Amino acid sequence: MSETLIASKAAPVRFENVTKSFGRDVVAVDNINLHVEAGKLVTLLGPSGCGKTTTLRMIAGLEMATSGRILIGDRDVTTLPATDRDVSMVFQSYALFPHMSVLENVSYGLNFSGFSKSETRDRALAGLELVGLKGFDTRLPSELSGGQQQRVAVARALVLEPQVLLFDEPLSNLDAKLRRQVREDIRAIQQDLGLTVVYVTHDQEEALAVSDEIVVMRNASIAQIGTPRSLYDAPVDRFVADFIGEANILPCTIESVEGDMATISIEGYNHVLPARGLATGAAKLAVRPSRLVIGAQDGFKATIAKATYVGVRMEYTLEASFGSMFAVHEDVDTPLEVGSDVTVGFSQKGPVLLPEA
Amino acid sequence: MKKLSTLALTSIVALGAGVSAAQADKLALYCSAQEDWCQLMARSFEDATGIDVNMTRKSSGETFAQIKAESANPKGDVWWGGTGDPHLQAAEENLTMAYVSPMRDQLHDWAISQATSAGDKTIGIYSGALGYGYNTDLLAANNLPEPSCWKDLLKPEYKGHVQMANPNSSGTAYTTLASMVQLFGENEGFEFMKGLHANINQYTKSGSAPIKAAGRGENTIGIVFMHDAVKQAVSGFPVKVVAPCEGTGYEIGSMSIIEGARNEDEAKKFYDWALSTDAQNLALEVNAFQVPSNTGAETSPSAPDMSTITLIDYDFKTYGSSAERKRLLQKWDEDVSTLPQ
Amino acid sequence: MRHVLSETTAHPALIFWIVAGWVGFCLLPWYGVEDGFFAFEWLVDGYPFDEDYAPAAFLIGQGEKLWLTPLVLPLITSIFALGRKKSDPLYAKILIASGAIGFGWLIAQGFGIGIRGFNFEWLKALFGNLGDRQFGMGYGALLLASAYLFLFTQGIAARGAINGDVFVVSAIGGVIVIVTVFVFFPIAKMLLAAFITEEGGYSASVFASKFFDDRLWGLGCLSGGRCGVAWNSLFLAITVGILTTVLGLVFALVVTRSGFRYKRALRALTVLPIITPPFVIGLALILLFGLSGTVTQFFADLFGVQPTRWLYGMPGVLIAQTLAFTPIAFLVLIGVVEGVSPSMEEAAQTLRANRWQTFRTVSLPLMRPGLANAFLLGFIESMADFGNPLVLGGNFDVLSTEIFFAIVGAQYDQGRAAVLAMVLLFFTLSAFYAQRMWLGKKSYTTVSGKGDAGVHPLMPNGLAIPVFIAAGVWGLFTVVVYGMILYGSVVELWGVNNTLTFKHYVTAFSVRIEETGIRWTGAAWDSFWTTIYIAAAAAPLTAIVGLITAYLLTRQSFAGKNAFEFGTMLSFAIPGTVIGVSYILAFNVPPIEITGTGIILIVSFIFRNMPVGVRAGIASMSQLDKSLDESSLTLGANSWQTFRRVILPLLKPAILAALVYSFVRAMTAISAVIFLVSAEYDMATSYIIGRVENNDYGLAIAYSTTLIFVMLAAVGLLQVLVGRTKIGRRTQFGAKEQT
Repeated sequence: MSETLIASKAAPVRFENVTKSFGRDVVAVDNINLHVEAGKLVTLLGPSGCGKTTTLRMIAGLEMATSGRILIGDRDVTTLPATDRDVSMVFQSYALFPHMSVLENVSYGLNFSGFSKSETRDRALAGLELVGLKGFDTRLPSELSGGQQQRVAVARALVLEPQVLLFDEPLSNLDAKLRRQVREDIRAIQQDLGLTVVYVTHDQEEALAVSDEIVVMRNASIAQIGTPRSLYDAPVDRFVADFIGEANILPCTIESVEGDMATISIEGYNHVLPARGLATGAAKLAVRPSRLVIGAQDGFKATIAKATYVGVRMEYTLEASFGSMFAVHEDVDTPLEVGSDVTVGFSQKGPVLLPEA
Repeated sequence: MKKLSTLALTSIVALGAGVSAAQADKLALYCSAQEDWCQLMARSFEDATGIDVNMTRKSSGETFAQIKAESANPKGDVWWGGTGDPHLQAAEENLTMAYVSPMRDQLHDWAISQATSAGDKTIGIYSGALGYGYNTDLLAANNLPEPSCWKDLLKPEYKGHVQMANPNSSGTAYTTLASMVQLFGENEGFEFMKGLHANINQYTKSGSAPIKAAGRGENTIGIVFMHDAVKQAVSGFPVKVVAPCEGTGYEIGSMSIIEGARNEDEAKKFYDWALSTDAQNLALEVNAFQVPSNTGAETSPSAPDMSTITLIDYDFKTYGSSAERKRLLQKWDEDVSTLPQ
Repeated sequence: MRHVLSETTAHPALIFWIVAGWVGFCLLPWYGVEDGFFAFEWLVDGYPFDEDYAPAAFLIGQGEKLWLTPLVLPLITSIFALGRKKSDPLYAKILIASGAIGFGWLIAQGFGIGIRGFNFEWLKALFGNLGDRQFGMGYGALLLASAYLFLFTQGIAARGAINGDVFVVSAIGGVIVIVTVFVFFPIAKMLLAAFITEEGGYSASVFASKFFDDRLWGLGCLSGGRCGVAWNSLFLAITVGILTTVLGLVFALVVTRSGFRYKRALRALTVLPIITPPFVIGLALILLFGLSGTVTQFFADLFGVQPTRWLYGMPGVLIAQTLAFTPIAFLVLIGVVEGVSPSMEEAAQTLRANRWQTFRTVSLPLMRPGLANAFLLGFIESMADFGNPLVLGGNFDVLSTEIFFAIVGAQYDQGRAAVLAMVLLFFTLSAFYAQRMWLGKKSYTTVSGKGDAGVHPLMPNGLAIPVFIAAGVWGLFTVVVYGMILYGSVVELWGVNNTLTFKHYVTAFSVRIEETGIRWTGAAWDSFWTTIYIAAAAAPLTAIVGLITAYLLTRQSFAGKNAFEFGTMLSFAIPGTVIGVSYILAFNVPPIEITGTGIILIVSFIFRNMPVGVRAGIASMSQLDKSLDESSLTLGANSWQTFRRVILPLLKPAILAALVYSFVRAMTAISAVIFLVSAEYDMATSYIIGRVENNDYGLAIAYSTTLIFVMLAAVGLLQVLVGRTKIGRRTQFGAKEQT
């Protein structure tokens, strides 16, 4: 079917000590090293100004690295301009050419690739079919909905069978309901065709949903690289912990360390968990709201400061002697009362020690 | 986008095509007489000989300046018309070519002496006496006396009612200046100019503009060549022509071939033709009331009768030389034009 | 799978320019052909052996002009670049060397050897008398020079400049060269002329004496005499700037902030003066307010006083210039007034300010940059204006006309003209610089914001009343003036014989149908056709140069961009007279000898009007999202293809604006044109001025009226030709770009 016409030439991407500065003062990307395996979807995640978009644009060739090397496949593309790289990009604003029809938009890149007119047309139509827009070829972009426009942008990028496909915050212009659907579509296409995709977003839930690997960036550097699960469960520092999902940061004391396990105590409550290379002494603990067990047998004392009903669950703000924390609980029918004292413990697999906050 | 390039291309090609005439013989004519006369001369010559004429009309001062500027690489071929002094100056500066036309013996003496005084580099084609004209309606409306002499123009009643051209750009005005110097002597002549300056409302660029403005009622008295004033009167404007009582200067309109002209043969053809009676009679068709230089040419009955006018013995050689010209103009610039009005 | 052509095959641009270079050297006539290249007469008249028409190769082959020989070497060496890959460092080196040496030698021999052999004494001393000479360069030389330039730029691009983008580097190189040749070179030559003595040497004291002349700087008018020309111009320009800004603001307020119903008519009215030939307004004013003018006579009779020539001099010029330049202020200010965010004014009102206070404390301050912009534009236009002072100036001399008389008058003082031009240039450049400083970067994108969805409040009553009165009076005045113009074209002899007649139109435009075809017998046809051809040729070229420059300025960044930007906008501040004078000084002698041709007129128009194409392009391109470019690049198109397929089609409004403006300006230009017209190329405006000088008012006005209608028709035609991009949505490109 259409798959026979659109194949994939996925290649890995490697950044070696890449730095990008603008002028003399602004360092947008500071000496990063990155390896994206072929056929994987890697997300660059971080707050505004962290350097993720700049990194993406360097892969595309829209920005040139100030120092370091960039390799796509085995080719050093550091000085190669965007025109000559085999990288396609889907822009945040889609950047569809308003004066061309949908088919002309999708065929645009093919015109420069040396195909005959009929082959260009066939490939473009196949691309449209792949994104589910068969029959839309003569429409103008202004006549399409946001979601449809985005799919045209994707088709336009795909038909060139790029080595790497880039997405720059593709869902930010869509309404909430559409986002889930579209991100699943993107992931499906990527997996079906085995494409190398680098994806930029600031929405951590989206990142967790679609990625094989996430690169969390902060202040022009990489904070942590890992699979969604490892990032969620084992953040390397406070920033990552707080950025991916919510995390309560609690002070604790490491009582003892045996092998890779450590025993910590908070106000007399003990818990065993991986030591992560730390020694005895004061430490910080990161606990997800869903891993706090309210009304546990064993735990530390806290008081309910706030109780909020959000339909699907109850959200509680708890006050303990060392600070406040945020917890969630599925039991919406018998909520706890504000002011009541509770015992709070940890679920078995949950809290992590932060190597250095 | 395609449309744009087609448009651009067509326009450039059209330009090229429109630019080139099909004919081989061409003549670049610099004309300094009235526009309509210039047009008629150009077209008539074209009809008579089939030579394509490109004519530009500029005042004699402007034309002289242009010929001088282009002297390294002349673009014009023949200079026809305009008062004689710039022609003489051009001859002196070797900007024009010596040529003795076979038509020469048909001309009046004054035309021939113009040529000999310039080493045959120029020749007289018409002459006209200097004078002034005034708008009779405006004169009456302002309760002003009718002037008949040069010195009348200095009267305080005429303040703001007189106009003449700027001698720097107009041959007519330069002739006026030189005439006053020859008529009254240099010191008294300049005193006259200073007195006149007080009554002047504007120095125009072109020599005949003062009487044209008078014709339109934008000015009362204009100092011009009398034939210019006659022309306005004949055209229907309420203008009266005056030959000043003290006597007056005159001009000899001239023609010269430019040195280094690209179409020298055609220039000579034009030169000869322009001196013929046929060509000189064309003046009548355009109400040009100068006196033609060919003795056989007709003069209009409306033209001023030169025999009744007191003409000074105008020394063309001296006052046509560039040194004297510069000196007089500089003196006028410094001593006269800067005075308050 | 993407075929990266640049790696494997030779770049088509390289092949093209090498071939072009050889064609220029071996096929096309090297020197300028006298009767016009496009007449093609030279093909049958002795080509290729005749010295006048021979290509350089044939010249050298016949043993003539041997100094041209070195030019063939870089042509040969550049061929060696063909076999190499772009990434090979030798490729770049070959091209840079060939291009630079070839271009450099061409320039050197062009300036070194002229009409009389060697141009410089030290060359004569070195080599003895040349015994030969050369004239101006022709199409052969031009093509070879371009080839060398673009080989050079390709070499630089291969070295990595701007990421190896050949199109961008070549465009930058091309624009720099033509701006240098046609703007900086003539101006520099003219400024040098200020130092020339009578004998032809240079002297600073000559310059000083001319510069500190009383005629320039005298302050006599303070005590009843005449002031220096410089002060006259300055005072006039400041007054005109203020008046036009105020009036422009008044009209802008009426159109945007009132309930006035005939806004469209008002807009049309204000724009009319832009397409009017320069001194027509002056003429109409004479007919109305001159010594024998209708209105003057009327009031003289009414009050029983004598009419005076009050119009001639500063009053007349002031009125004429205000009439002529208010539309420009209006166009600037309407963008500004509309751009003030309505929500700010609404916020002020919710904070208890009434309409007047809002206007005074919020709206007006926000409009200040626009007001400054409008003032400076009016100032520059007044300084450069030539036609109105010529007709109405009387004894009030201004710089632009003085320059003209210095060159054209019988005294022919190049040095004086150059000094005056320097002063004029100083004034306009200062104003231009002040404008840039005040407005910073924002000076190029119009201050019209994409307004938020709010509605502008109406003017407070205290303001509305004087504004309406002013607008009404001025609008009426404009209508009357134009009515006069029309009337003046159909009366027999204004002021003397008021019978209605079409005689003037007939004199100008009579046509006779003969067997051989149409014979254009009217007096005006010659200059008319010339003007149309020249304007039509200049307009697209202006648009192209302007838009490419705008593209470089908005979409690319490179070293020296600020200087580049300043250079290209400079010609806007250079008055037409200065351009005219500098062109005749610079281009009347080899190596570039184009005076007396149509080319010099076209070139002067291109560079006079280019800044408008640039501004329109910048404004439009700023509204195009940069991601359109970038997506095109990532899809494999290079800069040239992106420019051609993506940006240009979306720029139709800017293209139209540039074409219209260039065409109109070319048709109505006088100040530069009057120096550059020749026997063969007389322009309509120069012809009309001749008529005015000759008292042929009827003919002049009839011709001018016809020109106005022709321009309206041309504008309409251009709109149809360029068309509208079908992008299917109610665009920002719509109504806003009209103004």
